[in-house]
Amino acid sequence: MKNNLRFIQLLFKMKLQRQMMYPLSFFGATLVDGSLFLLWLLMFETIYRQVDSIGGWSQGQTTIFLGTFSLLNAINMTVYFFGVIGIPGKIRDGELDHYLTKPVNPLLRITFENINIGSAPLILLSIGIIVYGLSLTGIRINVGTGLLYVFFVLLMVVLYYDMEVIIRTFPFFFISANGIQWIEEAAFDLCMRVPGVLFKGLFKVLFYFILPYGIMATIPTQILTSSVSWQMMVISIGIVLVFSVFTQWFWRFGLKHYKSASS
Amino acid sequence: MKKYLEIAKILFKAQMAYRFDVAMTVLFTVTKILFAYILWGAIFAQNEVVGGFTFPMMLSYYIISSFLSQIEMSDGVSREVSERIRGGTFSKYMVIPVSVNGYFIAQTFGTVAYYFIFVAIGTILWVLLFGVGFVITSGILTILSTIVIIILGLLFMIQLNFFLGMLAFKFQDIEFFLMIKSNIVSFVTGGLVPLMLLPQSIVSVMKIFPFYYVTYLPSMLLIGKNEHEAVTGIIMLSVWLFVFVLLNKITYGKMRVIYDGVGI
Repeated sequence: MKNNLRFIQLLFKMKLQRQMMYPLSFFGATLVDGSLFLLWLLMFETIYRQVDSIGGWSQGQTTIFLGTFSLLNAINMTVYFFGVIGIPGKIRDGELDHYLTKPVNPLLRITFENINIGSAPLILLSIGIIVYGLSLTGIRINVGTGLLYVFFVLLMVVLYYDMEVIIRTFPFFFISANGIQWIEEAAFDLCMRVPGVLFKGLFKVLFYFILPYGIMATIPTQILTSSVSWQMMVISIGIVLVFSVFTQWFWRFGLKHYKSASS
Repeated sequence: MKKYLEIAKILFKAQMAYRFDVAMTVLFTVTKILFAYILWGAIFAQNEVVGGFTFPMMLSYYIISSFLSQIEMSDGVSREVSERIRGGTFSKYMVIPVSVNGYFIAQTFGTVAYYFIFVAIGTILWVLLFGVGFVITSGILTILSTIVIIILGLLFMIQLNFFLGMLAFKFQDIEFFLMIKSNIVSFVTGGLVPLMLLPQSIVSVMKIFPFYYVTYLPSMLLIGKNEHEAVTGIIMLSVWLFVFVLLNKITYGKMRVIYDGVGI
């Protein structure tokens, strides 16, 4: 564990040095995603000018939902996104060989080798959106609720990571997994804009249990606005556990099918 | 003209090699419709009319605007121009005996013609699958003027993207800038929410700019709204198109001399 942490620290230092070489694109991801979430905020502001609630959710709740999704996305972009997206290319080109021969867990290295500190301001922007949402609802948060919210956000960060790794493990079995990545993109794009409480029937099963993007920002938002049952919290923890165990197994299973440079 | 027709034909045929991309584009026309169906379904469960829209009208708006966004493929122009300038392969367009701007217009129209067929089939399938009470105008004159606006809108967007792509002559890496532009364009063209729902003062300002007429106005015209704006739309887009054609001609003339063709 101690060695792993030292290793992550070293990767972070190296990446930061490399990023500083390109100051213009340093904050690029922040500007792109920041503009996206602000426009969605504007979209919901426009809709709430016409109606009081969407599926029982007030403007404040929806704003917290958007802020929470933005926060999850910001942590993802800062910590592991730019590492994990490289997995399919490394499998296809046989570049994964270099990772397998090093005395470090290959997935650990891939995950943390491209930490992008330029995306960190997005975390502050997200917190700003959440605070704005809270001010709209008029809810005062106590320490317990705040801690529970942070705990569930961290859980959802893990779930987000699991989904990204699972989808990028498919190239071990197929040469191109573009189709699966497109499905991920579409499902994610939809769930970022539609609060999970609006999904009914088959869509609820799909976006809560099979492609669980629907719970990622919804459950933390419901915790902050005291509108979640303890059963739903337990189910969410169960979903994260199942997906985390599956991710580890699926990655190891994929590695067994890795055909090196010839794949 | 014949040369440009040949370019369009080649690009039309070239799309056949990217069957998977075409299939995915068709498949993903559904995401915007699904978004509207779920979000607006929840809203209309409590309200019969929102901002002058009924539920079938709202869904029809999103279906049409989704269709138009999918066939508005001018984004590729800015990406190709900027990537080729950055990579040093833009020289290819400088040596062929056609106008560079004309080449990209023909290229985009060739690609759009191919996608048009499949995206239309996909859209009809989704309409049937969702059982949407599709609302569409029956006025021939409205439909004809909408077609003119759609073509002018596409031409304008090609010019805008050509201009943005040329910024790479000066700034090299404009990838992030183009992504931010796409985000903003999706909002100002009414792709996220019908512009009619915005405050009237903002809509009035938006009417001065061309984006209002690119996707939003044609979608509204086809669902039988804003018919009095059809002529204004044609005039505004023509003016903006003329301005950008001129701007591109001047910019390209100035920028092409600083291009070294080396690439990074």
